[in-house]
Amino acid sequence: MRLQIGLSLVPGLLLFFTFFIVPLAVLVVTAFSDWSGTDFRFTGVQNFHRMAVDDVFWKAVRNTLFYSMIGVGIQMPLGILVGVILSQKIPGWRVFRAIIFIPWVISGAAFALVFSMFYNPRFGLLNDLVAVVGLGGRHDWLFDTSTAPWAIGGTFAFVIGFTMIVVMAEIAGIPKELYEAARCDGASGWKQHRYITLPLLRNAIGTCVLIRLLTDIGLFDVVYILTSGGPDDSTATLALYAYRAYLNGEWGFANAVGATILLIGLVLIIGVSRVFRIGERAQ
Amino acid sequence: MRKANRRPFCSALAIYSTLALTSMAALGPTLWVMLSSFKTTPQIFSGSGLLPAPVTGQGYIDAFTQIRLHEYLLNTFIYATGGTIGALSLAVLTAYPLARYKFRGRNQLVAIISLALALPVVGLAVPEFFIMRALGLFDTKIGMVIFFSAQLFPLSFVILRSFLLSLPTDLEEAALIDGAGYFRIVFHIVIPLCRPALATAAVVAFVIIWNDFFFANLLTASQENQSVQVALAGFKSQFRFNVTGALAGATIVMLVPIAVFLGLQRHVIAGLTAGSSK
Repeated sequence: MRLQIGLSLVPGLLLFFTFFIVPLAVLVVTAFSDWSGTDFRFTGVQNFHRMAVDDVFWKAVRNTLFYSMIGVGIQMPLGILVGVILSQKIPGWRVFRAIIFIPWVISGAAFALVFSMFYNPRFGLLNDLVAVVGLGGRHDWLFDTSTAPWAIGGTFAFVIGFTMIVVMAEIAGIPKELYEAARCDGASGWKQHRYITLPLLRNAIGTCVLIRLLTDIGLFDVVYILTSGGPDDSTATLALYAYRAYLNGEWGFANAVGATILLIGLVLIIGVSRVFRIGERAQ
Repeated sequence: MRKANRRPFCSALAIYSTLALTSMAALGPTLWVMLSSFKTTPQIFSGSGLLPAPVTGQGYIDAFTQIRLHEYLLNTFIYATGGTIGALSLAVLTAYPLARYKFRGRNQLVAIISLALALPVVGLAVPEFFIMRALGLFDTKIGMVIFFSAQLFPLSFVILRSFLLSLPTDLEEAALIDGAGYFRIVFHIVIPLCRPALATAAVVAFVIIWNDFFFANLLTASQENQSVQVALAGFKSQFRFNVTGALAGATIVMLVPIAVFLGLQRHVIAGLTAGSSK
């Protein structure tokens, strides 16, 4: 039996080892080096020092924070609101659930193409919509440092399908008796949600916040394709900053940035799990 | 009486306008681009009219004759199908002993694989490139299939293991008493029982690989191995000479996962909630 268990474990673990553990080890070692793929030289914390004094790095950090704010400040509350509404099983809820979820299965590359059309200064739909509201003038949303970060944020602010689905699944598990008891005590619909639904959603909301923040830390596709981080690095992200170093052949430096991304990810996983007490059952 | 009727009406109005506005914000730009793929090039560049007039399928013809979309679609289909099969086969073989048997280091192993599911893997870009090149897998189709199998291994593992933990062990024990060997039990009892979880993991893995841009861009170089997502990113520069072809191509690329989702909604939803609660 032992032999068979071993045989059964080996292929999967070998693959996991090759593409997760080994890269992680390579990353940690080379983050402290000057490496171009061929030449290798340990340089201590020099890469991290260079990062700390580079304005572009801090711009990327600020932009990543900005995208996280859009994720947690717009996407998350909207997703929870829609999830709570659709959980009432109002007429048409299946249709709305499908429509609102669809953007989640569309790729970043396709979305980038969609929004490069949508924001286009010459024939984009956004300028037409803005003109209808009475704010005329054809604006080049992606080439103005004051609008470009918002334009990038706009591509994912309404991709709320994941939060909606997780919230709906969690609500489906709440015993109906709780609401009946609250109704008997005279609680209004709004109060029922405020004092029953929301506290019981703590786990689900924490999970969604965590996954959103982890997505933002690694945000790449849409930014790379739409703006390459420009204009003037106003849309650059950490992932893009690392990718540029890789393209320059500065692998050691790219890995120092990569290690920073993973470290932030790890801190987020631990921090957000603590704050929302993910894993503990709701009381 | 009147007052009692007005409040539900107002809240229904508020609810449905919220849903309608959200739906429009979520899908509006995409629908507009899909509609535009049936427009003529002059109509697109003049920015006049929401609906195509006249309706033309020229973009779709160009997508296959000029842009040769089918070649990229085939590559992506190979990566998504191969990667899904690879990830699932290895995940079921690994998840079964880790769900059923107790041995030293088991919990640590499960924790490490689950952690890998959450880590932002873009941070590992350069080492992944380095390893793929060292193994001679860089810019090869088989290399991409192996890479995506590895990428989707943690997710498939977590979905399958949590399903196995919820499954009663009676059938396996009965088979053991009847003298069935380990692999006989795995292939004749465990895998058939896991069918719902396998379907769920397969649908989610397929869509994730289909949509991947980052690693497809990083780990392929030649046109013959390019995924359709990487080709799509190149279409942005095609706006100048064949905008309708590019939009038609984008529409097809988006419709594949949309069709998978609409057809298999139940599995997608189950997969997301299973993967996120663990």
